[in-house]
Amino acid sequence: MDVSRRTILLLGTAVLFVGGLGLASCGGGGDATSTSETEATQTTTTETEVDKATVVRVDVVNGSPKGEIVRETVDKGNRVVLVVSSDTADEIHVHGYDISRDVAAGGIARIAFRATVPGRFEVELENRGVQIADLTVQP
Amino acid sequence: MIPLAHGIGGVRDLPVPESFFFTTAAIVLIVSFVLLGALWRRPLLESHADGRPLPSPLSRIVLSRALRLVLQSFAVGLLGLALATALFGTTTDLLNFAPTFVYVIFWLGLPLLSVTLGNVWSVLSPWRAIADATVWVLELGGREARPVLDWSERWGRYPAAGALFAFVALELAHPRPAFPRTVGIAIALYSYWALAGMAVYGRDVWTRYGEGFAVAFGLLARIAPFAVRDGRVVARWPFTGLGGAERVAGTLVFVAVMLGSTSFDGFARTSTWQNVLGDVQGHFAGSSVRVVDLATTFVNVAALTAFVAGVAMTYLAAVWAARALVHAERSLVPDFVLPLVPIAAAYMVAHYFSLFLIQGQFIFTLISDPFSRGWDLFGTVDFAPNVTIVSPDTVWYVQVAALVVGHVAGLAIAHDRAVALFADRRAALRSQYPMLALMVLYTVGGLWLLSRR
Repeated sequence: MDVSRRTILLLGTAVLFVGGLGLASCGGGGDATSTSETEATQTTTTETEVDKATVVRVDVVNGSPKGEIVRETVDKGNRVVLVVSSDTADEIHVHGYDISRDVAAGGIARIAFRATVPGRFEVELENRGVQIADLTVQP
Repeated sequence: MIPLAHGIGGVRDLPVPESFFFTTAAIVLIVSFVLLGALWRRPLLESHADGRPLPSPLSRIVLSRALRLVLQSFAVGLLGLALATALFGTTTDLLNFAPTFVYVIFWLGLPLLSVTLGNVWSVLSPWRAIADATVWVLELGGREARPVLDWSERWGRYPAAGALFAFVALELAHPRPAFPRTVGIAIALYSYWALAGMAVYGRDVWTRYGEGFAVAFGLLARIAPFAVRDGRVVARWPFTGLGGAERVAGTLVFVAVMLGSTSFDGFARTSTWQNVLGDVQGHFAGSSVRVVDLATTFVNVAALTAFVAGVAMTYLAAVWAARALVHAERSLVPDFVLPLVPIAAAYMVAHYFSLFLIQGQFIFTLISDPFSRGWDLFGTVDFAPNVTIVSPDTVWYVQVAALVVGHVAGLAIAHDRAVALFADRRAALRSQYPMLALMVLYTVGGLWLLSRR
């Protein structure tokens, strides 16, 4: 009995300790993220003022993106226009938002949407299973 | 679907911010050292694992034959539905019932149920249900159901580890894991593995050593505050079921598959791995889709194997160091493998919690129209899933909290084992330095993967 009570006490203290540090850190964490957020919004305000869209261009050559996978970060609520020109026929799929559009060989597919859901989203050539872009939507 | 990240899913978590990473890593380190000095001196877990029996009417209902029959029929029905939709339903991944059911509801939901309620898989396994029914029919006909071959203890849990590896390889390495027909073939193959094994070696033997999910959920269920002892349901402290040594061969490899696969899933969504895959796919750019798929699968399987091997190797190194520090006469490998189970559970929660909450909602729509033929069986086809149900910062808090809890539980279980093993308190402490290093490595490593972009 005595031993188990001491254990509970010790575990309780440990939990409180972790909880306390956690709470203390949330303040710090929140500050850090909010500063980076303001920076991010500052850079994009010029665009959002006229509700200009962030254009993500991907050039698909031989069934894979030219160069590296295209990475773009936008703020929640922004408009995004994805322009994919491809020399291979396939289907462009934006995960999460679940928008699909066919692209013909040598054709261009345009997908426009508002980034309402925060998170990371893959854009891929559905049939080849190749990722071509990575979109991050900041909360 | 996607060649990277979990078998299914659209909204992926934003990386844990750096401030979270450093604070949590610091908490993990401090808590570890505090616990090391402050924990109990006599083993507690094993003596508490039996718990206290719940009131017997409750036990009788929970363990009743009727409830078992209902649940088992339900499970067999779901298996049938998943197989039928996968093979004959629409080929659009997200409009078919099977992929979401298998990768989200089953693979993420059952670990959660096992950790909270205990070994529910014993009544929810459709394969076990089919085997039970077969035995019942045989016995009705006056025949005795006997295993065809004898099981050798030496094989341990390796068959189960192999089965689980096959599943996670499909989920994480296959170019289109959520393609319904692929899921259908996988369900059929796994059903064959489970049923044939039970027929050949017997229901109980195969459930313990060969059926990968049964072993995984069984291990996770040892965390649960409920268990069945001598025909009664008992309530106990969580994690007490993980005391003692685990001498079944292959347990380390099995747990390494659990931990390694979840970490590989985390790694697979970092830009580092995306670029590697991009390079590989670019290299085979002119080739047919089939060649690109094969190359992608090969590279993924290699990395997945490396992660599993990495977990096993680091564990072996830590246990070897512990043995050297205390001059133990025998290997300590079976003694400290169970502390890895809460860490594996924590990894699963951290990586899949949001996926389960977001993608899991789609099952309400899918169940009403499982083949995507315009049905509305339960009137839920218009259910609109709320994909913003959890905010990114809630996800981050749950992720770091899960990792810290798993870490503390793992350390405590290892400590309990050490004081049971070594009469000398200082020897017990010495044996725990390498284990502490190992768990800090797993926890901070897991955290690091979550914070990568």
